[in-house]
Amino acid sequence: MIRTEHLSKSYGDLAVLKDVNTEIRRGEVVSIIGPSGTGKSTFLRCLNLLEKPSGGCIFFKDVNLLAKGAAISRVRQKMGMVFQSFNLYAHLTVLENLTLGPQKLLGQSRAEAEQKAFALLRLVGMAEKAHSYPDELSGGQKQRAAIARCLAMEPEVILFDEPTSALDPTMVSEVLAVIRRLAKEGMTMLIVTHEMEFARNISTRVFYMDEGVIYEEGTPEQIFDNPEKEKTRAFINRIRSVHYHIGSPDYDLYAMNAEIEAFCDRHLLARNTCADVLSLAEEVLLLQRDFSSIDLTLHYSEKTGELDLLCAAAGAPAGGEAQDDIGWKLIKSRCADSQYSYEDGKNILWLKIR
Amino acid sequence: MQNKLLVSLVLCLMIVAACSGICLAAASPYEVTPYDQLSFDLAHARVGVMTGSTHETLMKTSFPTADLHSYDSTMDAVAALKAGHVDAVVTVYPTALNVAKHNPDLQLLPDVLELQDTAIAVNKENTELLEQINAVLAQLEQDGTLEDMVRRWMKDDLSPYEQVELDLPQEGQPLRVAVDATREPFCFKDADGNVAGLDGELARRIALALGRPVKFSDMKFSALIAALQSNKADVIISMMNATDERRKSVNFSSTYYKQRTVILVRAEDAGGGAFSFSDFWSNVSDSFYNNIIFEHRYLLIIDGLKVTLLITALSCIAGTLLGALICLMRMSKKKGLKRFAQACISVLRGLPVLVLLMFIYYVVFAEVDIDPVLVAVVAFGLNFAAYVSEMFRAAILSVDRGQREAGIAGGFTPGQTFFYIVLPQAVRQVLPVYKGELISLAKMTSVVGYIAVEDLTKVSDLIRSRTFDAFFPLLATAVLYLLISWLLLLLLEGLERKTDPQRQARKRLRRSLQDQEQSA
Repeated sequence: MIRTEHLSKSYGDLAVLKDVNTEIRRGEVVSIIGPSGTGKSTFLRCLNLLEKPSGGCIFFKDVNLLAKGAAISRVRQKMGMVFQSFNLYAHLTVLENLTLGPQKLLGQSRAEAEQKAFALLRLVGMAEKAHSYPDELSGGQKQRAAIARCLAMEPEVILFDEPTSALDPTMVSEVLAVIRRLAKEGMTMLIVTHEMEFARNISTRVFYMDEGVIYEEGTPEQIFDNPEKEKTRAFINRIRSVHYHIGSPDYDLYAMNAEIEAFCDRHLLARNTCADVLSLAEEVLLLQRDFSSIDLTLHYSEKTGELDLLCAAAGAPAGGEAQDDIGWKLIKSRCADSQYSYEDGKNILWLKIR
Repeated sequence: MQNKLLVSLVLCLMIVAACSGICLAAASPYEVTPYDQLSFDLAHARVGVMTGSTHETLMKTSFPTADLHSYDSTMDAVAALKAGHVDAVVTVYPTALNVAKHNPDLQLLPDVLELQDTAIAVNKENTELLEQINAVLAQLEQDGTLEDMVRRWMKDDLSPYEQVELDLPQEGQPLRVAVDATREPFCFKDADGNVAGLDGELARRIALALGRPVKFSDMKFSALIAALQSNKADVIISMMNATDERRKSVNFSSTYYKQRTVILVRAEDAGGGAFSFSDFWSNVSDSFYNNIIFEHRYLLIIDGLKVTLLITALSCIAGTLLGALICLMRMSKKKGLKRFAQACISVLRGLPVLVLLMFIYYVVFAEVDIDPVLVAVVAFGLNFAAYVSEMFRAAILSVDRGQREAGIAGGFTPGQTFFYIVLPQAVRQVLPVYKGELISLAKMTSVVGYIAVEDLTKVSDLIRSRTFDAFFPLLATAVLYLLISWLLLLLLEGLERKTDPQRQARKRLRRSLQDQEQSA
């Protein structure tokens, strides 16, 4: 139903979307996830031309939206949008919010529009608040009313731009319940969200967006359980890392230790865990003979709690005698798992701390 | 306020001695007193004169050390003299005589500072009219009419003037006479609002002799010559002296009156007498009667009020519509329109509205016979539009961007989004400020007197010039302006309430709570 080809969007020199190619079919529920600032919302807003793309094509039911003379307002009537900041019309009651579009754009009579509006409000649980003004409602109520307003226009697809990001956890669930119900009833939806569990449960497809493109896509199982690409994995597992480079034997041990300590502090790791990491790092470095180029990386997964230390040292491969070293034995005893390999002229040691 | 009432009290007490309280010129009336022999030290006093008069010039050249105060009219200078803001007023003999007649607390000194020729001013290009007028003047002098007019109008007591009926033609091109009708006994407005006095009668006689109807335009003295030059009037007959300076701009007829410049001061023994309540109240009631009831002056005030309201209403409508247009241009994406709108706004906001008004009247519509009320509406409309357009822009910008996005995403065209979603919210934002601006406009219209429109303020000027009493006319004017502001406020606050959905919501809530209480 929606197809984009080489869609790109730049703000001046900053290219937010580089080359987005995708197709969304009727009945699909697509979740779009990814780090902040990678163009998820921009992509969504380009689809209904709230932002004007810098290049590429967008087709809605095979109608080129960027062609001259395309009836964009007509198309938008079929594409509903739910915003992060709700954007209910402040000067109208909830009921009037719902009936404004149908009356003025779809030509429905007032009675007809109100009847349909009440049905929708009952669907989202907001029938009681029909005559309230938006500023009398809570965030969750506002968003549900906004969804009902979208539905009143009888759209074919609904675009959700971070619908729950502005809500506190208690209200998030009521909005997600409504969206879940819509999915069950077969509405085509694109949802930009940070709610991973929700995305996993209701989506038919998941897009991971990064670097201005759809970095990886697949079914929820594929993306959440078995992400293929490194960045995807890092995002899914909420992996955080700190990296330190050593270029000579006269490296600053104290500076390195300070960075590792700061990292542990930031991610609320226990004091003794931090101490373990520091002594491990020291031991690993004591094993080294060639200090020309050593990269130490500490990975912490917020999701699983796993802590890994990766040391890549350039130089001659360490021979078998290194395995018998006391230091090496100490290191192995401290770790849950370890792995050594020699790749591209680098000694790669991977230690799983917990 | 107390001072004015006390002055009125003194007037009441000394009304009987009024006639004998006047000091008439003792020495030969047509000889200039040497300046070192004056009975009053003009050179070191605070002196009041009328702006643009020959006395102002005289004071500046001959008494440069004096502290000179220039007022819009002689009557304002006299008010200042009575209030103690100046110590002397230099003016012409007829005016001074009239003032001293009505105010026993003021004294007319016998000194004569200057002799001048009072004549009729005509546009330099209108030589034919000048010849005609000179011929008529010569005739009036010869058959003694002029002398009789001087006798009838230059009285030294308070008895009513002898008026003469003149049968003027109703058809033909009217002789347009510019006057400043606050200078009794030469030109002033009588009970029926007609221009009376020696100049009034002279104008009618000349028109009669020329076989034309007459049409008077009343404006401030300093605006008279400009009116003649921009062809808004044919002649000035307003006790104007022919000076060399003025001859550079206009031509003058032959002299019809020999003018003397004299000095008015406060009488030495003004004040005294015990204060009594009954006198005080009879004073106040006399003052009220004189200023409001006498000669149906309240009708004049109501007419002035109508004019003010008319100009305010029309300027408001014109200004709001124009302001909306300028706002649209200012917010347009096309650079040309935007720059043009910005320029308009800068110019219209940068000029004082009085300057704008006079510019449009005397320069833009020079040589055009246009109703000054229309000119006023144009000027005030333009000024109002400039301010209003910026207010509209601010109100529109203050509407949250998300509202517009929701509208566009919901399938509304940009026009529909503006009309159904942005505009209602913007109106709510703009009404509080718009209120203030409208009231400001109503008060700004008080300057239209400069282009000969008789609005509320000008009417109070006229009344003051007859009664020399500042209190009641000004009080009435002030009260009426307050009333106008209050009514406008009521109107707009009603509108505010209608367009504020919150109030409706709160009303509903209150009502439902009341229902609950009643049913409980």
